[in-house]
Amino acid sequence: MRRTIRTAALTAILLLPLVISAPADWGALTSAQPAPSYTYQGTVRAVNARAGTLELITGVGMSLRVVRVKTAPTTRLLAGLKPGDVVRAECRRTPAGLVADRVEKLEVGAR
Amino acid sequence: MTRPWVVLALPLLAVGCQKPVKPGDPLGELSRAERDRFDRGKVVFDSVFTPETGLGPLFNATGCGECHENPAGGRGDEVEVHATAFHAPVCDPLAQEGGPVIQQHTTPALKQALGIDQEPFPPSATARAMRTSPVIFGRGLLDLVPDSVLLAYADPDDRNHDGVRGRPNRFVDGRIGRFGRKGFVPTLREFNAGAFAAEMSVTNPAQPTEEDVGGKPPPAGVDPAPDPEINQEQLDLTDDFVRFLAPPTPLKLGKDGRHGRDLFSQIGCATCHIPTLRTGYSPVQALSNREFAAYSDLLLHDMGADLADICLGLATPADFRTEPLLDLRGAEHFLHDGRATTLEQAIELHGGEGSGARDRFKGLPAADRAALVAFLKSL
Repeated sequence: MRRTIRTAALTAILLLPLVISAPADWGALTSAQPAPSYTYQGTVRAVNARAGTLELITGVGMSLRVVRVKTAPTTRLLAGLKPGDVVRAECRRTPAGLVADRVEKLEVGAR
Repeated sequence: MTRPWVVLALPLLAVGCQKPVKPGDPLGELSRAERDRFDRGKVVFDSVFTPETGLGPLFNATGCGECHENPAGGRGDEVEVHATAFHAPVCDPLAQEGGPVIQQHTTPALKQALGIDQEPFPPSATARAMRTSPVIFGRGLLDLVPDSVLLAYADPDDRNHDGVRGRPNRFVDGRIGRFGRKGFVPTLREFNAGAFAAEMSVTNPAQPTEEDVGGKPPPAGVDPAPDPEINQEQLDLTDDFVRFLAPPTPLKLGKDGRHGRDLFSQIGCATCHIPTLRTGYSPVQALSNREFAAYSDLLLHDMGADLADICLGLATPADFRTEPLLDLRGAEHFLHDGRATTLEQAIELHGGEGSGARDRFKGLPAADRAALVAFLKSL
């Protein structure tokens, strides 16, 4: 009995940090829903292939934004991607920021 | 015997009796459904936003109609602040610092959170520009002029040696631009959606994230309205209202005005202010394959050091898009920042590629100058 209580107490102590750091919406964690995805289309402002980071100018009309994304280890940055290129990046939001799972270079057409 | 004459005369009579289009009128020949969208779009356009309905936390105006109120959605008298950084030949639109439009007001919640009355001026900016509210009549027609027409008027290397070059601007993604004083924005739809975000910080399906405060997201809790703050239908209706606003009918020219119109071409104004353009195909019949009075080539021209302010896209500080001369008779201020209070002043402030036509204007006898101005005042 004493061993059972000691085991339970030890387990509780070990699990305590996990409980404290858990998101407030515990249900979201346990429901195994995929992270929301975002698709950004923008113009490359800066690219660091070694660090796997990409800055995109996105926006519409005179309302411009910079979106900073990291690439997942499995995401291949297109060879030769450079500032000025237009890309579509399929991203998901993570605690570390936006992570792009897919980056696709686009052609710009005339009207 | 008289019947053929009646058949011929009736359409002519109808054309002669066509009501002139007043500022704020919709295009003629809109279908009933299109006219309905114009009317419903005007309701959104005239809406006044509050923080609870999406305004701010940074803004220049509380609704479209605040700047484009005079009369019926066409023109306004507000002046706003833009900024970019020019490191020749590259122009930085300062997207990382909140973009080129510097909002001049804050909501009470943002003021309480950050203690600011306006968006901080970007530290990396190399220049500041003042911008009057643009006329928005006839923009649906300008939107439909094919890129190929603009490119046909371009002469970046001045191959005809007339001192006038002309080249298209391009958006950050490389598409040809035409809207805005620097001709930076490719389409009317984008210009309108961007205006909701940049002028009122009203998020919408085309720009679903809130306006940055100097490049940083607004503090939590200062923006109570969920994004997007207007839906696709509201955005589309507003876009249709602007798209369907007709250019006002020019006034009938007298003898002086007709002489002024001839002089306008003879002294070279019409080299950039191309009198008529033609739209391409549109599913909206009132906009499709229409020749209309534009008085613009929608291209960038170097206007000289005195007018220079910010860069934008491929536009250097001195480059401006040829302003379409629509509804000049209703204007009280002229040029991109409203610095000219008369048309004569506006012409005399043309520099760079416009200096040849300006000098020829200044060399005209007083009566001819007056005739040319009389023509412009008919537009």
